[in-house]
Amino acid sequence: MTDIICPLCGKPNPSELEECKFCHAPLKAAGFIAPSDQEGDESQFISPVAAPDEIESPTIKPESATPLEQAIPDWLKDTEAGFLEGVESKPEQPTSEDISAQIESLINPPSVPDNTAQPAIDDDWLTNLLAEAGGEPLSLAPLEEQPGEQAEESNTEITEPYTETPSDEEKVLPSTQIEKPDWLTGLEAASTIKLAGEIIPGEPTAIEPGIVEPEAETGLNQMDVPDWIGQADAVESPAGQKEPEPSIAPAELPSWLEALRPDETAAPTEPVEDLSAADIVTAGPLVGLKGVISARPSAIRARKPPTYSIKLRVTDEQRARVEMMEALLADEQNPKPVPSQPILTSRNIFRLVIAAVLILPIVWMIITASQRILPPQPGSIPGVVDFTEQIQKLPAGAPVLLAFDYEAGFSGEMNPAVSTLISQLMIKNVYMTLVATYPSGPALAESIIKTGAFSEGIQGPYTNYTDLGYIPGGTLGLRGLANSPMAVLPYSLDEVNVWASAPLDTVSTINDFAAVIVLTNDPDTARSWIEQVGVVLMEDSTPLLIVTSSQAEPLIRPYYQAYPAQVQGMVAGLAGGLAYGRTVGIVRQNGVWDAFSIAITVSALIIIVGSIIGVVMKMPASDKMKESKE
Amino acid sequence: MLERIGQLADPIGAIIGFLLTIMVLSYIIGDNFLFRLAISIFIGVASGYAAVLILYSVLWHQVLVPLSQAISTGNTDNLLTYATHVVPAVILGIWMLTKVSPRLSRGGTPVLAFLTGVGAATVIAGAVRGTIFPQIGASSNLLNIQAAPSELNGLVVWFLNGLIILVGTVTTLIYFQFGVKRQEEGVPVQRPVILEYLSTAGQVFIVVTMGVLFTGVYIATLSALIDRVHFLWETIIRFF
Repeated sequence: MTDIICPLCGKPNPSELEECKFCHAPLKAAGFIAPSDQEGDESQFISPVAAPDEIESPTIKPESATPLEQAIPDWLKDTEAGFLEGVESKPEQPTSEDISAQIESLINPPSVPDNTAQPAIDDDWLTNLLAEAGGEPLSLAPLEEQPGEQAEESNTEITEPYTETPSDEEKVLPSTQIEKPDWLTGLEAASTIKLAGEIIPGEPTAIEPGIVEPEAETGLNQMDVPDWIGQADAVESPAGQKEPEPSIAPAELPSWLEALRPDETAAPTEPVEDLSAADIVTAGPLVGLKGVISARPSAIRARKPPTYSIKLRVTDEQRARVEMMEALLADEQNPKPVPSQPILTSRNIFRLVIAAVLILPIVWMIITASQRILPPQPGSIPGVVDFTEQIQKLPAGAPVLLAFDYEAGFSGEMNPAVSTLISQLMIKNVYMTLVATYPSGPALAESIIKTGAFSEGIQGPYTNYTDLGYIPGGTLGLRGLANSPMAVLPYSLDEVNVWASAPLDTVSTINDFAAVIVLTNDPDTARSWIEQVGVVLMEDSTPLLIVTSSQAEPLIRPYYQAYPAQVQGMVAGLAGGLAYGRTVGIVRQNGVWDAFSIAITVSALIIIVGSIIGVVMKMPASDKMKESKE
Repeated sequence: MLERIGQLADPIGAIIGFLLTIMVLSYIIGDNFLFRLAISIFIGVASGYAAVLILYSVLWHQVLVPLSQAISTGNTDNLLTYATHVVPAVILGIWMLTKVSPRLSRGGTPVLAFLTGVGAATVIAGAVRGTIFPQIGASSNLLNIQAAPSELNGLVVWFLNGLIILVGTVTTLIYFQFGVKRQEEGVPVQRPVILEYLSTAGQVFIVVTMGVLFTGVYIATLSALIDRVHFLWETIIRFF
């Protein structure tokens, strides 16, 4: 049974089918008959499946009639004629060989890879053919070994990959060496094409210019072609009439195959894509081409950076917000007038009532100079007794360091004790060395000294003192004063070097003073004196006495009550000052203590009454909150 | 003439003081122009006085006068003392002036760093030597029998006083004890119950201490008010 080989998929199909049962390609128009099992082996060579390489040569011309055909023996001519008759019996259809060659030329362009020679498969079918015709099987094995080393190497290197799997009949063939018949030897000698394995280095080979395959132009490629085909080629294209065009005939594709071809192959001259708007490559090896991908990546392409507009594109809403923000910022810099509040508000009235309740008793006590309330006793005020004792211990004329470190605003609380102290020091005629770490200290000291100079028991202006002025540096200045008073304050405000004359000429350290008395209203200042100077004073048991205000007393008293005491005497507040005055016999008849006492009492009453009123007023609100929660 | 002006300075000062006191006390009726004017005057006078004081008491008396005295007397010791005590301070002071210029402000940073470092070291050393160690020693000696009075009444007061101070110190320190180790993640950290009670007692002592400090400030302010009222009355009596 004859099968038709599908030209598209290459699979055999029954002859009664008009299209391939595998790929549905039409078989009648372009299919060709596959060899059946009953047919001879001669049909194998036209099978594209069995021998695909043999159709690669587009120059095969089976119907050629050249003088070389005369050398072909009759049996071969008969065989060829019989074959051609079978093929030409269907004139309307192309031969299977042509079709396969055309398809192969379309599928596989006529190019031969480098270092690849035409395999010697043709020799097999030719050998089989010759063996069948002449009764003497021909083996190519001895032919491969006959030539020299060059042919042997090329044969082993090139033909092995393309060795076709032998069929069953081929396997039957003996592998022993068989001598060529004489006619074949003569034919080889007459032909310029040698069989595989026979390469004549010095013999030039006719090369058609149309086949641009340098490697294929070697003798190996042409040796694969059967001799009778080579003769036909020689007849059709003699060496003297070499055509410039390639000898490959344009393929005549069937209509169905033409329909299957892609459009670009059908109309290769027209561009598939409109490249009129495509970019032209300006750099690299593809410069000038349009519509191709540039070989240079755009990332490294040196070009002028694009210019972007710096004008901010904002919407109207954004612009409005910006203007609002600018207006807010402008308003921040403009001082806003404080809204005038009405004078008679409930808050102001309440404030006036509190002030009146507090001030009126004070004014009354001051006006009347009340002395009804017993002044504080020295024993009930901590530190006053010790302070008095330390002052009494001072030797007459001894240098005493007196620090005026309180602000003028606290003079009402500090001055009773300070005035009493200054008067006592003047009475004892001690040498007062005035210093200050407050800027207002020197002026305050001068004022107090001048005021105390007119106290009772002081005759004439008191001059036994020096004002060294302001100690710069705060805590560092105190530390320097403790180490070397002369280095920190070398001259008095009178521009006199008091350290060079008596009594300060005996003073080199702070311990050389008979006592250090600090007058301050600030607990931090008092602590600095204790920490920086008091530590040095304790080394020689030099007394450190402090006169302070009520607000600093709680923080200074631990230093006084410590054991051992860091402060040897302390007078705090108005009560301490009055108690100290009472100790030394100075009783002020100005009603200040009564005013202070009544003011404290009124203040306590205001606080208590205000707290009660606040609690009473908040109770209904809290009840409402509880009810709302419930 | 100067003697006459000196005699008038005191009454003029009294009148100015009287007016300024009234202006400040006008704050009782609320913020007003007189109060703001008085505050502005005080701020301006205080700033001017501080500037004059620094120029006069520091630069003049502690820098220029010693230099002139050393040069005039030709005493080598005075010059050496001046060079070792004053010149470095002057150099550092001039160097510190670079802080005035924003461009050169970084140049004065070393001086500022020197002052800050020395100041911090001085304060810390003084606090340790003058407050922490002595106060720890004093607290441990609160109930020292050697310092106890011999009389029975005084002894009881001394004992109660020392006991209250000791309890107050310990409980206050416990209140500020925050280093509690977390046992489990997500479980609220809680100190032992005994510490919680002691912490509450310490909180009471802290509240009392704050009240005492506020009372001291209030008493000082009240004393200033009484002094001003007394000054006003004396001024009125003086001129009328």
